[in-house]
Amino acid sequence: MLAAAQDGDEEAFTQLWLDGNAALLRYLRVIAPEAAEDIAADTWVQVIRGLPRFRGDEAAWRAWLFTTARRRTIDKARRRSRRPEQPIQDVPASELPAAGDAADIALEHLSTRTAIALLADLPPQQAEVILLRVVAGLDTEAVAKLVGRSPGAVRVAAHRGLRRLAQILTEAGVTL
Amino acid sequence: MLNFSRRARRDAPGIQDASLAALLAGAVPPPDAPAPLQHVADVLAALQAAPSGDEAAGKGAALAQFRQRVGVSSQPIRSRRRRPTLLSSLLSAKAAAAAAVAVLGLGGVATAAFAGALPSAAQRLAHDTIGAPSPHATSSAHPGRADASHAGAQARHSGSPVGPSASGAAAFGLCTAYAHASRHGSAAQKAVAFRNLEKAAGGAANVASFCASVPHPGASTKPHEGGRASHPTAAPAPHPTGRPSPHRSGPPSPHPTGAPSHG
Repeated sequence: MLAAAQDGDEEAFTQLWLDGNAALLRYLRVIAPEAAEDIAADTWVQVIRGLPRFRGDEAAWRAWLFTTARRRTIDKARRRSRRPEQPIQDVPASELPAAGDAADIALEHLSTRTAIALLADLPPQQAEVILLRVVAGLDTEAVAKLVGRSPGAVRVAAHRGLRRLAQILTEAGVTL
Repeated sequence: MLNFSRRARRDAPGIQDASLAALLAGAVPPPDAPAPLQHVADVLAALQAAPSGDEAAGKGAALAQFRQRVGVSSQPIRSRRRRPTLLSSLLSAKAAAAAAVAVLGLGGVATAAFAGALPSAAQRLAHDTIGAPSPHATSSAHPGRADASHAGAQARHSGSPVGPSASGAAAFGLCTAYAHASRHGSAAQKAVAFRNLEKAAGGAANVASFCASVPHPGASTKPHEGGRASHPTAAPAPHPTGRPSPHRSGPPSPHPTGAPSHG
């Protein structure tokens, strides 16, 4: 599909774009919620420009897509004179499941939106590595390279994030 | 702000590092896994649901840029670079089909498949992958058709990547690929190609006339008889390797066949 898109096949590109854009938006809605759509659009401009010359398999393609998005996120934050390490701003409270709102987290119908809101409740670095592993589909080494940390640190952050997620869900009184 | 990580570890004693690593790699926890692990798995699965409508905004702009920068291929089929071996295309088509059916087979499409109400090629695909009744086992295709096509339309709009959709210059490639798959491919390959043809042709009954009317790029032979002329490069340009969006680069995961149902 990637090769076909590189060759100019619109159908293949459309599918590549649909999958990639959904993944990008889910990632960006957690790490840069106020500018997710803008950053996604900017990412595609850059990626489409470089598409004919790109050399790599689909895993490399995903790494490139998310590296581009992450760089644009950091650039945008810098342009606003904000430190990139600043914690992500809070997702609006209406989107977050409050403790006791078990009905909102009926897990058999868990929406992507709610899952994103749950991740936004985690410390930013933990949320980011989880998203890059799960939504971007990158392995630990690729995530480590992308965020500039060791694979061990990435693993620790991801596991901490997942345990914290488990606790949030338990505290919210989720039952199945 | 309290540090929850140690407390979390105490509160969720059943969650081992190995289990978390497995979840991140795409594994589905066994039914007897502790509840907190199951819940986390559900959240991760929801993060990987098929693209929704609101995630497709901006497609037009992206396509316009694509046309400008990359351009439309005038030859949908290029032999040397992209012809897959039969084995690799069988494996990828099966994997793609299984993954797509599993992603889609949450809700309407799976229900329709089990009620035997899908169009027969899709029913065969469902039979091969999720064990739905085979097409000939059901005779009530017509009453269910409205539900099936609705479910099918929903499934398509969910954007599952099961091969290219047919339009324009790619249609010839798909008609040829379908003919090729009918003779040489697996049921899954044939169903993948058929489904997209069916969509472009506006119904299974129209596929034959659709292929007859698609112009062969640069030639005058009829595409659906081109399969017989044994196009050596009969593989369609965008060959169906697409897997659901957040797909894994690691070892094959059991996720596609066992995913719990989510919206």
